Amino acid sequence: MAKQYSRRNLDFLLKEVIQVDQLIKYPYFQDYTPDMFDMVLDTAEEIADKILRPSYIDSDRKQPELINGKTKVHPAVKDYVKAMGDSGMIGAIFPYEDGGQQLPTVIGAANEFIRGAAHNSFVMFTGLTTGTAHLILSFGSEKLKETFASRMITGEWSGTMCLTEPQAGSSLSDVVTTASPQADGSFKIKGQKVFISAGDHDVTGNIINLVLARIDGAPLGTKGISLFVVPKYRADDQGNFSIDNDVVSTGIYHKMGQKATPAMHLTFGDKDDSVGYLVGEPHKGLQYMFQMMNEARLGVGMGATYIASSAYYASLEYAKERPQGRRLNNRNLEEEQTFIINHPDVKRMLLSQKAMVEGCLGLLLECYFWEDMIHASGAKSEEGQRYQMLLDLLTTVAKTYPAESGIKSVNEGLQVFGGYGYTEDFPLEQMARDVRIMSIYEGTTGIHSLNLLGRGITFQGGKAPQLLFAEMIGTIKEAQTHDDLVPYAEKLEKELGRLQKVTMHLLGIAEKGDNEVFLSDANLYMEFFGIVTVAWQWLKQGIVAKTALVTKNPTGDELAFYESKIHTMKFYFHYELVKTLSLSVRLTDPEVLTISNEMQPAI
Amino acid sequence: MKILVCITNVPDTTAKISFTDSDTKFNKAGVTYICGPYDDYALSRAVELKEQSGGTVTVLNVGEADSEQVIRKCLAIGADDAIRVNCEPTDSYFVAQQIAAIASQENYDLILMGRESIDFNGGVVHGLVGEMLGIPSLSPVMKLDIDGKTARITREIEGGKEDIEATLPLVLGCQEPIAEWKIPNMRGIMTARTKPLKVVEPTGDDLTVTRKFELPAPKGAVKMIAADEVEKLVDLLKNEAKVL
Ligand SMILES: Cc1cc2nc3c(=O)[nH]c(=O)nc-3n(C[C@H](O)[C@H](O)[C@H](O)COP(=O)(O)OP(=O)(O)OC[C@H]3O[C@@H](n4cnc5c(N)ncnc54)[C@H](O)[C@@H]3O)c2cc1C
Repeated sequence: MAKQYSRRNLDFLLKEVIQVDQLIKYPYFQDYTPDMFDMVLDTAEEIADKILRPSYIDSDRKQPELINGKTKVHPAVKDYVKAMGDSGMIGAIFPYEDGGQQLPTVIGAANEFIRGAAHNSFVMFTGLTTGTAHLILSFGSEKLKETFASRMITGEWSGTMCLTEPQAGSSLSDVVTTASPQADGSFKIKGQKVFISAGDHDVTGNIINLVLARIDGAPLGTKGISLFVVPKYRADDQGNFSIDNDVVSTGIYHKMGQKATPAMHLTFGDKDDSVGYLVGEPHKGLQYMFQMMNEARLGVGMGATYIASSAYYASLEYAKERPQGRRLNNRNLEEEQTFIINHPDVKRMLLSQKAMVEGCLGLLLECYFWEDMIHASGAKSEEGQRYQMLLDLLTTVAKTYPAESGIKSVNEGLQVFGGYGYTEDFPLEQMARDVRIMSIYEGTTGIHSLNLLGRGITFQGGKAPQLLFAEMIGTIKEAQTHDDLVPYAEKLEKELGRLQKVTMHLLGIAEKGDNEVFLSDANLYMEFFGIVTVAWQWLKQGIVAKTALVTKNPTGDELAFYESKIHTMKFYFHYELVKTLSLSVRLTDPEVLTISNEMQPAI
Repeated sequence: MKILVCITNVPDTTAKISFTDSDTKFNKAGVTYICGPYDDYALSRAVELKEQSGGTVTVLNVGEADSEQVIRKCLAIGADDAIRVNCEPTDSYFVAQQIAAIASQENYDLILMGRESIDFNGGVVHGLVGEMLGIPSLSPVMKLDIDGKTARITREIEGGKEDIEATLPLVLGCQEPIAEWKIPNMRGIMTARTKPLKVVEPTGDDLTVTRKFELPAPKGAVKMIAADEVEKLVDLLKNEAKVL
């Protein structure tokens, strides 16, 4: 299989664009040196090379099976989870006092990028475990931390998040799973959870489910939802986790992609014997869950980006080796066929993938970096709050835009393979199936779009977008100091102006009080916002590449690398940023065609 | 038990090979360096032996400052300390001399290294070190167990295997499947930074000079001949490839 990502590009983003080494000067990260970050990424490469890559295809063909109530998954998942536990990677980003190593999350994310590019489905097992352990460590009692989180970090036990119910998918306020208080302070849990990733398997000795449920008598809506730890096995009198906790695998979904991760239908408390332990305070479950969901959302943006990266490198390799047809100016049939990479349309598809992967990765790594800056500078400091606001605004964009463009990008990769892309002889069909989930879980594109336009933009009087736009203007000004970049700085400035105008137009509709009209095209607004944000990322990368070309005088591969950066930046501006024009026309048109009413009931 | 593991800092197997200075020097620009894969096996076995029965593992590299990243990784995998002999490891005799000089200062029970480096693939350093120290040297070793002062070794020989018992100290050239490659863990990465890495100057002179490196001729294009055109094949082998 082709290489699935570029370490050179990852180094460029981490070391040259974000300049991750600056974190080391803050006390929180002072135990690190830059070469240690390299070593963490080397470790990810080793796990990817030895365990993940070899089982990517096999584990797709041999799906998990639910036999007599027990789920069997591909045997290599066990090797992977063990390697992650042994290497200390599951909890590496946690603070020292929680058994972690205070690794910057941006390095943790780069580590996941490498692993995910090799096998996006196995990575789910450990990603969920990190997320659930983090939630217990952040809000759970000392007892919960000691009993559960400590064994999750080592890979001995794994974690799941149980939010979705048949009637409560996008609308979590409709969760009906119940929790009845018991005399000993625990709760009896009763209800159904669907689509639970890694909800059952034969990999770890116990599975720790984090379940959203309503304590008897709790208020309706999101304000009545609490969070519980509900293990598959609970402790007996000797403290051994031997008692079956009445969490039953009622079904396994037969999915389109990410087949190596089982998605389970779980029934809690059918025999009235499923015990849960409250995390934090009652009725604050959804608030706590949001911490994990925000991490997970960036993770989904990453997921789309690393699958798109694999697809890009596979299609690039293929395009360099597949002879077909002749160049448009060459009518000489005597001559040998040219490689398809020389056809402009194929080159366009390759550049489009590269522009998506590297642009979105830049955005995602910057979000993770902001998270580290919040840790480094203190959540309450002015700097910390500024980063928090930027992160809150952009998390939803960094989940959704990469997810949507990742799907398109992998599709272009498949197209490069022609008919072979549609067969199981090449991994593209699998990647196209795998990536499709990214716009659905952790909140659909529709829901995130409502979130961005309905809340993110207006929150605290629109402070967050003001901060973001100021960042963008800073980049535009810097780009204007390089002659070659001036046209691109101007383009971004113009589109930023257009985005602001469209935003004001939509907020004008909101003021009139009709939310349905205001939010009817939120999805298109998200696309607009995403395109401008990634164009900003590309301009940043362009500035760094241009500076390197001038100051470092690179030769050979290095020269080619920086020149290709500039070329891809130009491509993004000419082929993607221009789409904002049609989006703005639609978003400012008064005619609304998608609102249901009695006069216009059907399509 | 005191174990010395000698490691090489070599270009990644996927590195593009080119030369500078009128083809007398390897072009390091843009090349990723790794610990020699056979040396990695030797180190992994050394760490396993230490975990089983205690002792220390010292990593030794004859190389320039740019080897230190790979040395740190070896420390992260589980070695206790490291020594770097500060010079370019140009020829096998010179390298063996440096290893023997370091080894003679301490009583190592085992001196492990890869069966060969993967840059020049000489495969003679272990033999030379054994000779210089006056102790037995065996290679390629696929299995190694230690019982007191006795080593039980399985060595690959032409067409089969050989089981050997030998008394420590020994020099061994290692290969798979002597141990599972070890992946550095977070704790190891964190502690590697504070483990001692001593830099010493070389002894003796490097007696060889590289006049010129040359790459093998690029592979020619493949010609496909239909199975029923044997005469054409013979003709091409005779007149074009000139191998018949
Ligand atoms: C493979 C897989 C793994 C998953 N893993 C987990 C897991 O581990 N844990 C877990 O809890 N859940 C998990 N899920 C569930 C996932 O989060 C939900 O499927 C998702 O939130 C959507 O809910 P739904 O399927 O009920 O769709 P619905 O909510 O019914 O949505 C259907 C469509 O309607 C749109 N829609 C719904 N409401 C609105 C609205 N108010 N305004 C505009 N549009 C709207 C949506 O955007 C979507 O297009 C997983 C799902 C899958 C497929």
